[in-house]
Amino acid sequence: MEKEELKKAIYQLIEQSAGKKKYKQADVIKHFRQQGIPDADTKAAIRELIDAGDLIYTYFGGSYIELGEKRKGA
Amino acid sequence: MTKKYETPLLDELEKGPFPSFVTEMKKAAAKNPMAADELGLLEKSFRDKVTYWKHGGIVGVRGYGGGVIGRYSQLADQFPGVAHFHTVRVNQVAGLFYTSETIKFLCDLWDKYGSGLTNFHGSTGDIILLGTVTENLEPLATILSMNGFDLGGSGSAMRTPSCCVGPARCEWSMIDTLDITYDLTQEFQDELHRPQFPYKFKIKTVGCPVDCNASIARADLSIIGTWKGPIAIDQDKVKDYAKKGMNIQEEIVNMCPGKCITWDGNSLNINNADCLHCMHCITKLAGALKPTPPFGAVILIGAKAPFVIGATLSWVIVPFMEMKPPYQELKDLIRNMWDWWNEYGKNRERIGELIIRRGMREFLEVCGLEPTPEMVREPRNDPFWFWKEEDLEKKPWEEFLK
Repeated sequence: MEKEELKKAIYQLIEQSAGKKKYKQADVIKHFRQQGIPDADTKAAIRELIDAGDLIYTYFGGSYIELGEKRKGA
Repeated sequence: MTKKYETPLLDELEKGPFPSFVTEMKKAAAKNPMAADELGLLEKSFRDKVTYWKHGGIVGVRGYGGGVIGRYSQLADQFPGVAHFHTVRVNQVAGLFYTSETIKFLCDLWDKYGSGLTNFHGSTGDIILLGTVTENLEPLATILSMNGFDLGGSGSAMRTPSCCVGPARCEWSMIDTLDITYDLTQEFQDELHRPQFPYKFKIKTVGCPVDCNASIARADLSIIGTWKGPIAIDQDKVKDYAKKGMNIQEEIVNMCPGKCITWDGNSLNINNADCLHCMHCITKLAGALKPTPPFGAVILIGAKAPFVIGATLSWVIVPFMEMKPPYQELKDLIRNMWDWWNEYGKNRERIGELIIRRGMREFLEVCGLEPTPEMVREPRNDPFWFWKEEDLEKKPWEEFLK
């Protein structure tokens, strides 16, 4: 999977689970590992999404990855 | 500024011989409305015996998953100055050495962007800047970065590594704690700023078994300096101690946990093979006894205070590791344990708890470590000291003040 495609897939995973399930970074990595994506690739893609502000880390008793737009107006 | 709130309960904490955080908060409150409202809120919390803080949430600095702990007051209408009162953790300097200029810079910065209240240092080891609002976080992080500082760790991440003063000021340091801490901080930037673990992971490094940072009780991974050579003895200095009134038999020989010291009134002898490296004799007879090379570190795993099973001390996993830059053996070991923990750890499960759940055997296998008799589970077994009323009536601090 191309990096941009992977980034889109990660974003969609977080977007679709918003309000239902919170993903930790390791959960996302394991999710894409099942699709044959190397852990390092998923990790790098998450990093780019976080740096761009598309996704953010949040803390609710543990650290999770959520949609970046949540932080707007916080 | 006039006094904003009456604080009779907090005023009680200004009495007695010790410095008081209340006094410092009142000073800050005189010029900063956030600090003033914080005083009022704290007094109300004391009166109602309820904390009115919520913490966590979504605030932070772009690209960072840690370093900012969102705090919000439940009584924002009553105390508007602390409606948002976020804590910022700043990666401290290894060994906690600062110039006056640096301290002034941090204080001025916090007067401008925050409440003016700081905590040098928090129990994590970080510089703690207490109380700011969301819109100040990005400019604050930028200014810190431009001046050579970085945010520290928080959340499910590697926390800012910390250490004792080490060889900078201590004659007993057997490893360069400052360099190890700096090196690990640089090596694991990703793990520090991007929370990716089941829960927090703390690394603390100390130069000798005296363990001034209490790493054995406070860190998931404790790195404790140690030695392999025999303890060097200066018999003349030992005799000096005896002449000056030290009861060598009572205070040194009888208190040796390895029962490896003998004293005939003239000469002190140590059976190094039975030495447990507790450092009691070395610290009591400062200058007379000295550890000798080779120097290295004991690596321990798994301490945490509020385990379900109670306070748990670190467990020895490597009895002796050479500690020379670039510390590759240590870094490889850490990465191995993290991989295993990430794979099997439950949410909010510390690595020590995972070891208890799945077994030390499996942990050693994934780390590529052979079991050895030195992997003792509880080198010491009581991390707490409980003071009773009658202890305090004796004013034990007066003895120290002398």
